[in-house]
Amino acid sequence: MANQLFTNVSIFDGGGKKPYSGEVLVQGNRIKEVTRGGNTIRRDGVKVVDGEGATLMPGLVNCHSHLAYTDMPTLTAMGDVPPEENTLIAMRNAKTVLDHGITAAVSAASSKPRTDIVLRNEINSGRVPGPRFRAATPQFVSTGGPWDPRQMHMHHNSFEIVADGPVEFRQKVREMIREGVDIVKLAISGDGFADHAPEDTMTIAEDEIAAAAEVAHSRSIRLAAHARSDASIQASIKHGITFVHHATHASERTLDMLEKAKDKHYVCPAVGIIFATLNEASDWGVDREWALAHRLDRELEIGCETMMEMFKRGIKVMPYGDYGVAWNPHGTDNRDLEHFVSLIGFTPAQTLMMATKWGGEAWAGDDPIEFGEVKEGYLADLLLMDGDPLADITLFQDQDNFLMIMKNGEYHKTPRRRRVSRRRVAAAE
Amino acid sequence: MANQLFTDVSVFDGTGKKPFAGEVLVQGNRIKKVARGKSKIERRGVDVIDGGGAFLMPGLVNCHSHTTYLDTSSLAEVGDIPPEEATLKAAHNARIQLDNGLTAVVSAAAAKPRMDIVLRNEINSGRIPGPRMKACTPQLISTGGPWDARQMHMHHESFEITCDGPIEFRRATREMIREGVDIVKLAISGDNNTHPHAAEDMTTWAEDEIAAVMEVAQSRGVWACSHARGDDSIRLSIKYGIQFIHHATYASEKTLDSLEKRKHKHYICPAFGAIYTALHEASDWGVTPEFAETAGFARELEVGCKTMMKMHKRGIKVLPYGDYGVAWNPHGTDNRDLEHFVNLVGFTSAETLMMATMWGGEAFAFGGTPEMGQVKEGFLADLLLVDGDPLADITIMQDKDNFLMIMKDGEYHKAPRRRRHTARRRVAAAE
Amino acid sequence: MANQLFTNVSIFDGSGKKAYSGEVLVQGNRIKKIARGGKKIRRNGAKVIDGDGATLMPGLVNCHAHLAYCDTATLFALGDIPPEENQLLAMHNAKTVFDYGITACVSAASSKPRTDIVLRNEINSGRIPGPRLRAATPQFVTTGGPWDANQMHMEHGSFEIVADGPIEFRKKVREMIREGVDIVKLAISGDAFIEHTPEHSHTYSEDEIAAAVEVAHSRGKRLAAHARADATIQACIRHGITFIHHAEHASTKTLDMLEKAKDKHYVCPAIGIIYATLHEGSDWGVDHDYAVAHRFDQTLEIGAATTMKMFKRGIKVMPYGDYGFAWNPHGTDNRDLEHFVNLIGFTPAQTLMMATKWGGQAWAGDDPVEIGEVKEGYLADLLLMDGDPLADITLFQDTDNFLMIMKNGEYHKAPQRRRAAGRRQVVAAE
Repeated sequence: MANQLFTNVSIFDGGGKKPYSGEVLVQGNRIKEVTRGGNTIRRDGVKVVDGEGATLMPGLVNCHSHLAYTDMPTLTAMGDVPPEENTLIAMRNAKTVLDHGITAAVSAASSKPRTDIVLRNEINSGRVPGPRFRAATPQFVSTGGPWDPRQMHMHHNSFEIVADGPVEFRQKVREMIREGVDIVKLAISGDGFADHAPEDTMTIAEDEIAAAAEVAHSRSIRLAAHARSDASIQASIKHGITFVHHATHASERTLDMLEKAKDKHYVCPAVGIIFATLNEASDWGVDREWALAHRLDRELEIGCETMMEMFKRGIKVMPYGDYGVAWNPHGTDNRDLEHFVSLIGFTPAQTLMMATKWGGEAWAGDDPIEFGEVKEGYLADLLLMDGDPLADITLFQDQDNFLMIMKNGEYHKTPRRRRVSRRRVAAAE
Repeated sequence: MANQLFTDVSVFDGTGKKPFAGEVLVQGNRIKKVARGKSKIERRGVDVIDGGGAFLMPGLVNCHSHTTYLDTSSLAEVGDIPPEEATLKAAHNARIQLDNGLTAVVSAAAAKPRMDIVLRNEINSGRIPGPRMKACTPQLISTGGPWDARQMHMHHESFEITCDGPIEFRRATREMIREGVDIVKLAISGDNNTHPHAAEDMTTWAEDEIAAVMEVAQSRGVWACSHARGDDSIRLSIKYGIQFIHHATYASEKTLDSLEKRKHKHYICPAFGAIYTALHEASDWGVTPEFAETAGFARELEVGCKTMMKMHKRGIKVLPYGDYGVAWNPHGTDNRDLEHFVNLVGFTSAETLMMATMWGGEAFAFGGTPEMGQVKEGFLADLLLVDGDPLADITIMQDKDNFLMIMKDGEYHKAPRRRRHTARRRVAAAE
Repeated sequence: MANQLFTNVSIFDGSGKKAYSGEVLVQGNRIKKIARGGKKIRRNGAKVIDGDGATLMPGLVNCHAHLAYCDTATLFALGDIPPEENQLLAMHNAKTVFDYGITACVSAASSKPRTDIVLRNEINSGRIPGPRLRAATPQFVTTGGPWDANQMHMEHGSFEIVADGPIEFRKKVREMIREGVDIVKLAISGDAFIEHTPEHSHTYSEDEIAAAVEVAHSRGKRLAAHARADATIQACIRHGITFIHHAEHASTKTLDMLEKAKDKHYVCPAIGIIYATLHEGSDWGVDHDYAVAHRFDQTLEIGAATTMKMFKRGIKVMPYGDYGFAWNPHGTDNRDLEHFVNLIGFTPAQTLMMATKWGGQAWAGDDPVEIGEVKEGYLADLLLMDGDPLADITLFQDTDNFLMIMKNGEYHKAPQRRRAAGRRQVVAAE
């Protein structure tokens, strides 16, 4: 494909600063040139795409993704989906999120042992469309942990692997590494949804976490943890678990620990599902009373406060998480950006920086992979938005507002004209 | 058989010193007398074999042997070969090794649990020809370690036993000792072929698992050997007293210091041959340059050679041979390793042959009094007569027709024949 | 979508008779009207597609499909592919054959228990492109039958289900029916590829066949059999197995039996793979000497002769079969049409009738599904070919020759102009 020159665009480069008008040249799979103002990049041999004042920005990065989850309302319904169908559903979910501008995703758990892995490989092969993808294990739980759906008289599966004792954790983590995962997920705390293992409990023992972490670290595999309770957040820090998800009930002491180690961790609160369960789940028999009885209002309130506190201390919090359930389905992920603004109080610029620049860094880890910013030399994962997302962060919730979606220098959605003729970005920059 | 007297031979005694002209008398299964220079040994009542100036040396000792490996090109292929066929092939391999002058081997892993044990016993009974043999377990690995060939939906086996946790390793070690192994193999590091989940610089065992195996082995007087490419795996091998540390490619200076302090307690076989052939000679089996690049074979070879020279200079005992028995590095080509030691590492031929004989003999006796590996009175009569001078050209060891005589334990595996090049009838008398 | 009116086309209607010039109107998912010769159909808001004299014909029907096979070279290699990857490969294969104008398939075996079923359901949901599919079980074999890949010391899965004795057959067939198959496949005879069960061997006992058939028929399911040996063909006829695949070694007595029951059976010789093994397998270590040593040359000759004999007796023989192996891959299925002409001696018209009209009937069975002919009221599975396939049956081997592919009234490939300018009108005189 010829080089693509995006001209007459308002560039949000991922850094969180105000957008500026300029031009961006893509060559191959990288951003070749970024200039301020207009008409400075050479036009010979390039395809010129006139953005007409639209916003050019990095692709969105979801660091708490569940592409293999099947938008089911219950645990067992998830487990009931056989592996063949699950593979096809995961494939469709990958396209859905890419259609919504999510060009990279770090999985926070697969539904079945190999689904994420197979999906990642198929996307990488170019045979199906989808975001860059870090494949995770299913949630490792101990017997009786959240999401252990078994009954004494009846076997069930959900989206977990059950292990007890350090040796079982060791063996099963090793097995998943052999199969090719990028991320090992441990469900350390309980959860408001699980009556027998609520959110302030710790359901995996210290020696089990140590066993899993030792194997993963010795093989250069990162970990993620479901960690709502204070003790589980501390355990995550102690064992070098990169992605500390939820992290709702962090005490001052825990915040101090996390602040000291802030270069080593990322936190996704995943507020969207809590919000949706409180307000939008009654069609599935989960009404507001149920949600209140399970303290989800408290979870949401405390979670929001904790995130703002973390952010002020320089800890890297990020949006997205837990889309893929019946009342919080795939395709509605970008509501999380709105939640970060209206529920937590971040500015759109801060939120988008988290979802692009920080997301890109989190995805890359120690690998020499650069995306998440509009910066020369970076991989060309780019979006062209019909409007100013810093003025209206809900733009991302409607696919039609994506005028262009590019991943690795290739179009997933080819550029189209803006719907309202706003032909020039304001000159005063 | 009457005593055998080898006359007019150039004797390389295994010490690495220059060969001397002389005569050697074998009585029973031992070397009775060695005469140097002009002195002669009594000819009455013995069979005289005129060596015509040929090179007499101790039999070669391979301390990283896989006699029971099946010259396969993939992991799962090993498992697919049933135990009966595997046993027959192992017997052929044993004979092939002896045909190439290898009179003793220390195994570094069997292809299936009982293969080495059965082969050793059969050789010892005299029913089939083969080298003296220390029988090893298969590679003990953890789940997801190198060579774990299983898939989630389909069982496969290769040449491993998989365990997780100290209890499982303890039980597996005890079981193998019950069956009769001499040496236990721990595949501690990953390997080049199993990127990225079990790469060569990773340690795939937990320390309590290594401790579990070694506790059982030491309590039963059984040796251990390890597959240890990465530095951490070498460190652990030293810490737990593993006698044969194989590969040992990425030893840091600190690890070298540690190893030097304990240099009488360990032997190192780098086993370059399979890496060299994977780099240069394996495209017929799908080992493309791209795969070789990803697997890091070139780096493995380069760093490995440097490490071996460093070790040698520090007095750590480095030995040739290892990992023959794969499709692109098959049985019968083991003696290429001697050439690799000269060409790739930079050892002299004399050093290399000393490592392959005297040091090999010591290793075979580990900790005890060596009884073979030298042409020395009282030692076991494992002897070779070579047509030519391997010190001048070590590649002559690669053609089995250059072995004029192969003797193990005082009996001929290959009875003596005349030299092909008749002009060199007398070794220079002035020695 | 608006009604689609194909004008100026040469219509091969599937019956095997000469093509005639005319027009065809598609409304919804059915063929609404056909006009012959100079007659015209009212345009009433229809989208008009000028065929420029191209050939309009029914979509091709493959009654011996293996969409879940993954173009592997060995049995073990197919078994080693995990179920998730196999599902994705089956999906890609479905699109590939669809790109070659195959609008309906009857599977002659899945690779794994659920792969065909899941593929059929996904195609039917409209989420992925592919032919109408009758989903089959994997090959049922007895222990030691062809494709039993197990060893005494090691289990292997290949593309089979192993069962012994009538009870096991009953249970495993029931299980597959619960999962939703349409076709139960029994590998009754051996095969030249397998040393321990060559093609003349009969590897089932009578009570095992009876058990499988009884369950299937009681649940309205049809069966297919791998049946090369004469005794096994007779067993198929005795037990009412609809699809008798290969059937090379039918004796005269067997042909008599089959002729009497010709309305109940279909035969796919699957000649392509025999041909490919003889001539095109050397890259995978299967050279001509191997093939001859395993009597593939005889199989080809006898198979061709038997297929022609059957046809002359009115038995319904059909092309296609066993595409999906390394040296006979998906996408090359339409070579079978050429093989039927060159190797067996059928005319292109006969071959295409087998691949359309007969294929459609075979697909439908007792279900009221009308495909395979260009006929008013029939479902609109149609192809527009850039040329005359009755003159050149190799046309189907190049995807560019398919100007239009329609299934159930919807375009898989929207109509394109003919490539050679100037052939704008079909000759009017019919």
